[in-house]
Amino acid sequence: METNRKIKLQVKELYKSFGAKIALDHVSFDVEDGEFLSILGPSGCGKTTILRILIGLLEPTSGTILKDGADITRLPASKRGMGIVFQNYALFENMTVLGNVEYALKFNKETKPRARELALEQIENVGLTEYINKKPHTLSGGQQQRVAIARTLALHPDVILFDEPMSALDVATRLSLRDELKSIQHKLGTTMIYITHDQEEAFALSDHIIVMDNAVIHQHDKPMNIVESPADEYIRSFVIHNLALKIHSLSKYAGGTSHD
Amino acid sequence: MIKADRGYSVFKWLILVFFAVFLVIPIARLMTSITWDSLVKIIKSAAFGRALRTSLTVAVLATVISIAIAYVAAWAVTRTAIPCKGVFTLLATLPMLIPSYSHASGLVFLFGQNGVLTNALHLDLLFGKSSYIYGIPGIVMGSVLFSVPLAFIMIADVMRYQDCTPYEAAEVMGIPKPNRFLAITYPYFRKPMISIIFVVFTAIITDYGVPHIIGGKVITVAEMMFQKTVKLLDYNTGSVLGLILLFPAVISFLLDFTNKDKGNMSFVGRRFEIVKSFRKDAVAFILIVVISLYLLIPLICAAYNSVLTSYPTDMTFTLEHFRTVVFKSGFKYLRNSLIIAVVVSLFGILLVTVTAYLSARMKSKLSRVLHLVSMTAMAVPGVVLGLSYVIVFKKSVIYNTFLIMFLVNAVHMFASPYLMMYNTFSKLNENLESVGVSLGISRWHMFKDVIFPLAKSTVWDAMSYFFIQCMKTITAVAFLWSTYTKPLAIKIDEYNAMIETENVAVATLSILAVNILFKLIVYLRQQAIARSRTREGNVILPDLMSNRKQACC
Repeated sequence: METNRKIKLQVKELYKSFGAKIALDHVSFDVEDGEFLSILGPSGCGKTTILRILIGLLEPTSGTILKDGADITRLPASKRGMGIVFQNYALFENMTVLGNVEYALKFNKETKPRARELALEQIENVGLTEYINKKPHTLSGGQQQRVAIARTLALHPDVILFDEPMSALDVATRLSLRDELKSIQHKLGTTMIYITHDQEEAFALSDHIIVMDNAVIHQHDKPMNIVESPADEYIRSFVIHNLALKIHSLSKYAGGTSHD
Repeated sequence: MIKADRGYSVFKWLILVFFAVFLVIPIARLMTSITWDSLVKIIKSAAFGRALRTSLTVAVLATVISIAIAYVAAWAVTRTAIPCKGVFTLLATLPMLIPSYSHASGLVFLFGQNGVLTNALHLDLLFGKSSYIYGIPGIVMGSVLFSVPLAFIMIADVMRYQDCTPYEAAEVMGIPKPNRFLAITYPYFRKPMISIIFVVFTAIITDYGVPHIIGGKVITVAEMMFQKTVKLLDYNTGSVLGLILLFPAVISFLLDFTNKDKGNMSFVGRRFEIVKSFRKDAVAFILIVVISLYLLIPLICAAYNSVLTSYPTDMTFTLEHFRTVVFKSGFKYLRNSLIIAVVVSLFGILLVTVTAYLSARMKSKLSRVLHLVSMTAMAVPGVVLGLSYVIVFKKSVIYNTFLIMFLVNAVHMFASPYLMMYNTFSKLNENLESVGVSLGISRWHMFKDVIFPLAKSTVWDAMSYFFIQCMKTITAVAFLWSTYTKPLAIKIDEYNAMIETENVAVATLSILAVNILFKLIVYLRQQAIARSRTREGNVILPDLMSNRKQACC
């Protein structure tokens, strides 16, 4: 992780207001190629606004986004080379796994056989080949997540965004999905930006974490650094407190001795 | 709102204009056509006072009885272990498929001056006169017939989704049963019950069909309005009466609206587990059989009466009345009904789908306005809407045409199917369109290939609502038919006036048969849709692999 990677995305002075409400207050950060970045914060902190602006569902009031050095701020969503995985995955329930992955390719100037070929390639990539004919609601949560990722990957994005994909699921499922996601990222090396309000999730998955509150970034750092040297009082109280409690209780369960 | 959606506002505006022209302006014109003097004069008149008293008496009595019967029926099918629940549920909803004229006609056939039971049991001697059913007793009985199914469906729904865990907790804590009723049952039922009571009350007080047939000399406000406008062309008095009838409907609408918004039904606990108990089940079974028999009176009577040559003078069997009503002179009315039902279900489903899609899946301030306007159609009773169309469109080209029949029905029936579609669209994952945008799939393709297929089952429900309501309605259209467009349900009144009760019976059965047939088609379509939900694809992998090799080479 210490090697100097290429910068994939540069977010500069992003500002967004909805009427009188400021959703993003001049936010800037860089994302390295191939990294897993989490944006962590309570609901209403602006993290979803960042995501919707990055993918192109929303226009910023001001500020720019550079991808591989090129300005993409006003580019239509489908021309940005980015994919997105939403909460509960938003799969096309009336289509099979193959249909889900293949469908978008038809609108992106692919011939039918070529579209099918590309779709199958991606399904193989996420290990779902034997499920191509199944409908999404007959699959497990993990399999659904993989369909959503394959659907996104079919258009060859080099950045994938995740909008709290696991927030509606139970703890056990989340833990296994988290592992799956991590292994897919290792295999593909795609840059991933993950929006969550769950600290544990962010710390378990990420190379870097951005902690946000009230439309501004409080700290952008490696997980270890956030724990060891919190940038301000907010981080100290919000992140460290919870985390320390968790480590404390975990060590008790594990039978290890705690500090006291 | 997604940034790519801004262009769609124009569709929202178009629909709003449609509702402005065909709902808001007519109602506003109706209200502004009333002068203060005429309002005071009519309200102070003795005839109005009598009608209002009758209306209130009938509506209160019939509402109480309907709710009680419907509660028992709903309890029997949701909380007991009686057999044939599906059959009883079906039977209890059958009366919803026929016009209210038919309910009253059934009662007249049994209890009228020459009624089957009046003659057989000498009820005239028992009651001291042969016209005991005409007036308030008949109106109450008839109103109960058509409003029980309405109340039954709603109450059964509330009971079905009630959470049983509070009762279990009470059981564990040893709280006595009467206290459980006050502490758990009453608070749970209070809100939905208030809505249901008002819906039923409004349906009864705005119906003129039952009092028209069985009221005798007794007149209700709705019947008076019908008489004044349709028979005497006195639109001034009609408007005042319409305004009065608008009140309970608006209150009912507001209650329902505020109750729903709080989402008191949103959390789902555990459903009731039915415990078998011979005594309870036996009582429930007897009650539901009696209720079903009562509700089926109009249909049974119609079936019997339809094959008699001329009741009560010539009791021989004949199919001549079927020939007359279905094939000969009555055919054009049945045809008109079918034309109206088919066109309105097609046009209605288009309008409902587009409106619900725009308001549920393209959220904006304008969407909320659209939603609100769509719902207000529910607050306007059919008779009021019909009269307002007369006032506004009397001199226009669409007056006396099928077009005005289509329009008034579509607007009058809009709210319920709209809500069905709105709820279905709202439940689909809110990010589907965003996924589409990020993958370069247009809104239209997302709608055509994903959203609409997922809502198909509801589309059939909504269509069936339009169709059945069109076949049976006698409200708005009563003011707007012409000799070319008269539907069969309206023709019943004429058969009745000429004392052709056999033809009334056949018309009732025809409407019932068409509606049952349509319901059956909808049921089969929905079964097919349910099967396709889990149907797997049929792509065979080895084939593809070979294709792929070819492509690679």
